[in-house]
Amino acid sequence: MTPEEDALVDARGVVRSFGGRRAVDGVDLCVRPGERVAVVGPNGAGKTTLLRILATLLRPDAGTLVIAGAAIPKQSQSAREHIGYLGHDPMVYLDLTAQQNLELFCDLYGVADPRERIAAALGHVGLLARTHDPVRTFSRGMAQRLGIARLTLHAPRLLLLDEPYTGLDTQGTRILDELLAGLGDREAVVVVTHELDRALELAGEVVVMRAGRVAARVGTAGVGLDRFRADYLELTA
Amino acid sequence: MSSRGRRQYLALLRKDLRLEFRTRETVVAMGLFSLVIIILFEFTIAERVGNTAPIAGGIIWATLALGAVLGVGRTWVPEREQRVLDAILIAPVSRLILMSARTTALVIYLLGVQVVVVPLAVIFFVNGTSPVNLLLIAGVCVLADLCIGIMGALLASMSVFSRTRELVLPVLLLPSLIPVIITAGGATDAVLSPSRQMAEYRGYCLFLAVYAVIFALVAYATFDYILDD
Repeated sequence: MTPEEDALVDARGVVRSFGGRRAVDGVDLCVRPGERVAVVGPNGAGKTTLLRILATLLRPDAGTLVIAGAAIPKQSQSAREHIGYLGHDPMVYLDLTAQQNLELFCDLYGVADPRERIAAALGHVGLLARTHDPVRTFSRGMAQRLGIARLTLHAPRLLLLDEPYTGLDTQGTRILDELLAGLGDREAVVVVTHELDRALELAGEVVVMRAGRVAARVGTAGVGLDRFRADYLELTA
Repeated sequence: MSSRGRRQYLALLRKDLRLEFRTRETVVAMGLFSLVIIILFEFTIAERVGNTAPIAGGIIWATLALGAVLGVGRTWVPEREQRVLDAILIAPVSRLILMSARTTALVIYLLGVQVVVVPLAVIFFVNGTSPVNLLLIAGVCVLADLCIGIMGALLASMSVFSRTRELVLPVLLLPSLIPVIITAGGATDAVLSPSRQMAEYRGYCLFLAVYAVIFALVAYATFDYILDD
């Protein structure tokens, strides 16, 4: 079996432009089950655009993209079964309760035994006592924890995280760390972050982006933060 | 529709209705706006013309169409303001199901407004009518609302990514609804005329049904592309 066949992400020469400017310019990326990849780079490097393409929220203008064996954009719906996406925002309805929000996403993903899954997810993020409260009454950190519960409901194999620690309190940070540490060899993670220390800590490989292109791929084994930071500054200067 | 699709459709519809029940933003705004327009028509036209019965259908449907613009404009607002749109679009839901749920919610909002506004308009402009006539007008409302709901859901989805959506939506929606407004107005006038014109009424209703089918086909052909990027 070639690596691409079992890859959860197989992107080749992916291009995406906005108004004539190439936000993502010929990116190749292969992420296999069990791998953790961090994408770093300065503002405007194309990190979030790349993640949104992988999440099937944006269509590539050129190149080929296969997510969990499904060709994008033709088989996007099939690929979406396997994707969990968490951005800066919790992506939940403020005027619904935590339970109602999670019920909605259970139904959209066809989750079996939704009540048990919701109780387990809310328990895991420490929000069981707030099950029936509208999200509007939650603090920013609590809402983001609910976003983590939403993320895990359908047990996605490919987690796409865009600055997921934004707005998280200490408890939320611990919960997300535990979630990522608890993932097995079936799941893969692509995380976009500005925090180099967290990128080194979370990922086995760091992709450095600059002006829409991959400037470098760095294996994190045995790499210290100081050396990595120096290399990063040189690559993105 | 598969059982999975039915579950998704009901979940999306339930979510829209729950949000509306909790916030009451759309139906109340549409209702109040429609009432204000009816009062404006009453003072600007009815006061001068005297007998407004022959043009009541046109007045009622112009009012309802303007009110509908408000409701359609609220479509996708919670998703946009609360940044949930990505989570909905990334779920493995057919775009047709997304649109069907949106259309159904819009039709329910419109009917909710019309239950109050239409009888009131009939009192204002026709000096009352029989319950049978009101039932016949209810039939017109269902067909016309289906057209407005489908076209509204489609155009609201097109404009959700536009920076000038508040301007774009009415500019696109109202012209596309002109045939619906004319036909629904004609059907209403046929019912409200002193000798009820049932043949005319049936013809107009058939036209509305045809419009609904055409709008549904247009939406079916385009909705996937509109919401996928």
